[in-house]
Amino acid sequence: MTRIILSTGNVILDGPSIIRKPGTYRSNLELTNSLRNNISAAQKEYAFAFQNGNGHASHAGQNGQNGHSNGRPAPEVWTEREGSTLYVPRIDWESAGLQEDRSQYEITVKLFFLPIAPPEKRLDYIKEALRLVKRELGVDDVDLLIASFPGLAFEGDCEWEADRKNATMGNDEEEVTTWGLLEKLYHQGQIKRLGIAEFGTEKLRRFLDKVKVRPAVNQINIRNCCNVPPPLSKLAKEEGIELFTHHDSTDVLPSGTLRELLGQGPQGAGVLADGDPNSSGLKGEIIPEWVVKYTAFVKNRGVIENKGYFASAETVEET
Amino acid sequence: MGLLALGTALDWPDAQKHANQVREWGIKQLLEIWNKAKHKEHDAMLWGDEIEYLVVKYCKDEPKVLLSLRQADILKALAADEELSDKGGCVPALQELESQRLNPLPVFHPEFGRFMLEATPGKPWGIGFKELLGVEPDMKNRRKIAKEHMQPEEYPITLTTFPRLGVPGVFTDPYYPPSGPKLRSQFVPDEIANPHIRFPTLAANIRWRRGRKVQVNVPVFHDKNTPNPWKDPTVNYDLHNWPEDDDVRNGAAPDNFIHMDAMAFGMGSCCLQITFQAKNIIEGRRMYDQLSPIGPIMLALTAATPIYKGFLADTDVRWNQISRAVDDRTPEELGEKPLKTSRWRIPKSRYASNSTYISTDERLRQEYFDPNLVIDEKIKAELLEGGMDDRLATHFAHLFIRDPIVIFSEDLKELDLTKADHFENIQSTNWQHMRFKPPPPGSDIGWRVEFRPMEIQITDFENAAFAVFMVLITRAILSFDLNFYIPILKVDENMETAHARDAVLEKKFYFRKNPFPNRPVRSSATSRSGSPTTSRPPTPFGPVEDEYTLMSVDEIINGSSSDEHSFPGLVPIVESYLDSVNVDVQTRCELSSYLDLVRMRASGELWTAAKWIRHFVDEHPGYNHDSAVTDEVNKSLVSAVIDIGDREQEGKGWKDLPIPNIEHLLGRFRTTGGCGS
Repeated sequence: MTRIILSTGNVILDGPSIIRKPGTYRSNLELTNSLRNNISAAQKEYAFAFQNGNGHASHAGQNGQNGHSNGRPAPEVWTEREGSTLYVPRIDWESAGLQEDRSQYEITVKLFFLPIAPPEKRLDYIKEALRLVKRELGVDDVDLLIASFPGLAFEGDCEWEADRKNATMGNDEEEVTTWGLLEKLYHQGQIKRLGIAEFGTEKLRRFLDKVKVRPAVNQINIRNCCNVPPPLSKLAKEEGIELFTHHDSTDVLPSGTLRELLGQGPQGAGVLADGDPNSSGLKGEIIPEWVVKYTAFVKNRGVIENKGYFASAETVEET
Repeated sequence: MGLLALGTALDWPDAQKHANQVREWGIKQLLEIWNKAKHKEHDAMLWGDEIEYLVVKYCKDEPKVLLSLRQADILKALAADEELSDKGGCVPALQELESQRLNPLPVFHPEFGRFMLEATPGKPWGIGFKELLGVEPDMKNRRKIAKEHMQPEEYPITLTTFPRLGVPGVFTDPYYPPSGPKLRSQFVPDEIANPHIRFPTLAANIRWRRGRKVQVNVPVFHDKNTPNPWKDPTVNYDLHNWPEDDDVRNGAAPDNFIHMDAMAFGMGSCCLQITFQAKNIIEGRRMYDQLSPIGPIMLALTAATPIYKGFLADTDVRWNQISRAVDDRTPEELGEKPLKTSRWRIPKSRYASNSTYISTDERLRQEYFDPNLVIDEKIKAELLEGGMDDRLATHFAHLFIRDPIVIFSEDLKELDLTKADHFENIQSTNWQHMRFKPPPPGSDIGWRVEFRPMEIQITDFENAAFAVFMVLITRAILSFDLNFYIPILKVDENMETAHARDAVLEKKFYFRKNPFPNRPVRSSATSRSGSPTTSRPPTPFGPVEDEYTLMSVDEIINGSSSDEHSFPGLVPIVESYLDSVNVDVQTRCELSSYLDLVRMRASGELWTAAKWIRHFVDEHPGYNHDSAVTDEVNKSLVSAVIDIGDREQEGKGWKDLPIPNIEHLLGRFRTTGGCGS
C-alpha cells in the first residue's frame, strides 16, 4: 500500500490553469490542470538538475529499465518517497512560507472528503491535510476551514428545487461525526472558524440541531448568485452564518481522472502501472481520499499570495 | 485640481525667468521625498475615486439649458453646512452623528471650470469586498448633497462636456461676453474659469508661452445634410480685440473641424479618476506600468463625448481635446520652426498618454521604451547622483522638460524641503494617463498611482461599476502577477485609436497576447539557495512583435479563443480572482452586476454613452441631420440626463423611463432596486 500525496505548488502564478475560460462555469479543471502543470514542470526541472549532476536521484532513467518510451523522466527523479508515502511531485519545502507577518493574512482551507474513501479514516485525513498546509504556508493555525462532504450539491435549474433536492443528499450522521473532529481542532485553536459547503435549508437546520460549534460559513454554488432561496438566506441570517460563493466541483478528483493523470498514457505522469503485467509503476487500485485547497489572502491589500492544493490517494494492490 | 495656495501669480515673462529655479527646487524636494519614502512598506490598499459634475441650470419652461457659474456659491453653501454638522448643530439624531463619524461627509472641490464641481469620498476606500458595495451609495449621496446645496433649477450632471459650451449667444448663467483679457477666446468669457488666480493665470500663461491661443480642433461628424467641406459657422474672422484674434485668419480653424480656442474646452471636461495606494514603491511602479496599456481600452469603453460647441464630432472621447486645450508648446517645440530659443522638440502635449515605463519588473524589456524619449539630462544626472535608479530618474527627467506655468512670487523666497510645492508645480501639470504620486511630505500616505483616462458616466451605477472594475483588475494583476507590457509607443497609438467613433466596437487595439507570468522554478531543483521568485530560468525572449497583436475591446475585456490568438479577457480574469477569495453571495452578486455592465459595454450588447447620445440627437425631431446640436436638442438631452439621475436617486431603475434607447444604455440594471430583492 502506498499513500500518494499530490501537490500543485502555488497556482496563483500559474495563470492559464486557474483563469476561467470564457463561457465555462464550474469544473474541477483548476485542480487537474494545475496538478498536471506542476508534475510536468517538476519532471522537466528535476530531470534538468539531474542531468547536470545536481540531482539526488539514482541511476534511474539512464537505462531502459526505468525509462519510458515517450521520453518522460523516471518517477524516481522527480517524486520522493518517505516510508509508505510518495510525494508526487517532490515538494519544494524550501520555498514554503509567507512573505509577511501571519496577522496580515486570512488563511482559508477547504477540505474535500472524497466519495469512495472510508469515512472512519477522516481524522487521519484532517490531520494530514492540515499538517501539509501548515508546513506549506509556514503557519500554526488557519482562519477558516470549510468541510466539503461527498454527495452534496446545490443543483437544479431553479434554486428552490436545488434546495429541496439537497435535503436528502449526503449522510447526516457521518457529517456530524466528522464535524466533532473538527470541533476539537477548533477548541485547540488550530482552526479559528469552521464552515461547511453546499448545505441547503433543511440539511442545515438538521445539522445545527446536532452540532455544538456552529458553522460560521456555508459555501454555496448557485448559478445566478442573486437567487439564494429565501428560506436559506433567512436561516443563515438568523443563525449568523455567512453564505459564501464558490465554483468548486464537489467530486473534485474522481478516480478515473486521477488514474489518467498518474498513469502510463500519453498525458500521464507514469507513476501508476497500467494493465500490462510488465508495466512499471505502482500497481493496484487507486482510491482518492481527500483534497485540500488553501488560500493565503493579504487582508488589507486584497492580494492572493498563495493558493494551492494537496490531494491524497491510496493504492491498494489486489491480492 | 492641485493646491490652491494664494499669492501673487507671475505673468509668463516673469514666470519663465524663474522656471529653472522652480525645477531645481522641485527636484530637491523630490529627492527629499524619495529618500524619506523609498523604504516605506506595508501600506494598505486604499483607494479613492473622483467624480466631476457639470452644474446646469434647467427649467422646463425655458427654451435653453445654461451652465451655472455659481461654483463658488455652491461650495460656500456646502462648506457652511459642513461646519454646522461638525459642531453637531443641525444633526437631529445621535445615531446619525455616529454614522457620520464613521462615514465622513464627502469632500467637494473646485475645478477649473466655474461650472464644475468635484466630489470625493470623505475617507479613502479599503478593499473589503463589502466595502466596495459602499461606493455606489456614496456616489449617489454625493450627488444628493451637491443638489441640496444648489438652487432648485440647478442640477449636477455627469456628462463629460456641456454640448453647447462656446456657442454664439448665451450659454452661461449669468451671461458674460467672450473675448476677455485672460483667455482671449472668441467663444467663451474669462468668467468661464474658476476665478481663483491660479486658473486664469494657468490659461493665460499657456497661451502666452505658446505664442497664440490653443487650437482645439475636432473633426466634425458628417451627417447627410452637413456640407462638405464644412466650415465652422461660429468662427468670427472679423474680431480685432486681441492680437490672438489673428489666429483664425492664419488658418487656426481648418475646414471640417469644430474650432475651439480656450483651455475651458478641454479642462472643462469631467473625468472619472481612480487613485490606488500601493504597498510600497515597487508595487506602485508595477501598477503604474501594468495599468498603462489598459488605459486606452478603458477610454474607448467609457466613451461619452460626441458633441462639442453645438456640433456632433467625429470622435467619441474627450482626451485629445483636453490635450490640445493645455498644449503650451512653442512653435519650435512643435517642430514648426527650427530650434532657436526652445531647448528641444517635444512630440506630445503636457496632457497626453504616458511616455515611459518605470517598474523594476524584470519582464520590462528595453524594446518597450520609446528610444526618442525627451528628457532633461541634467536633471536626470542630479537624480542619479541623489541615488535614484535610472528608470525612475528618467521618468521624472521627462516630466521636468516642462516649464512651470503658474508661479507665485512668495514661493520663490526660500526653498522649503518639508514641502512639495515646487515638485508638484511640475508634476501636477503633467497630465498623463497615469500618474505616479510620491507620498506627500509629512503625511502617512504611501506611494500612489492614479488612473486617469476614463470618461465620467451619466449614472453613479456606471461610475461605481468602472471604478470597482479597475480596483478588482489591480488586485488580479498583483495576485496573478500579470504582464500587460507592450511597447509604450503602441499605447500611444491605442490612445489615438480610442478616439474613433464607436472605437469600442469598430476598432482594434494592440494588446499583449499572453498576460501570464512564467512559472517560478523550484529552488531545490536548481540550487539550494534563493527564493523561487528570483530563480526563474532566463526565459528566451522572442521578438517583441510576437508578444502582442490587434484585438477588439470585446476580446480584451471578455476574452477570445480565435485561431490566431486566445486571450483570457480582463473580466474572466477578475472573475477568477473573485473565485479564489471569500466573498459572500450578496456581495458577489452586486459585483457581478458591475462586471456585467463592463462586459456588455465591451460586447456591444449595451451602448456607450457616446453612442446613446448620438442616437438621441439623431432621433430627435428637432435635429436636421446637419451635425448641429441646437438649444432644443440640447435641452431634451440634458432633461433626459436629469430624469435618469432622478430615477437613480429614487432607486427605481430605468427600464420604463420614457427616454429613447435607455434600454440600450443601461439595460435592465437596477430595475428591481438591487440584487436579491
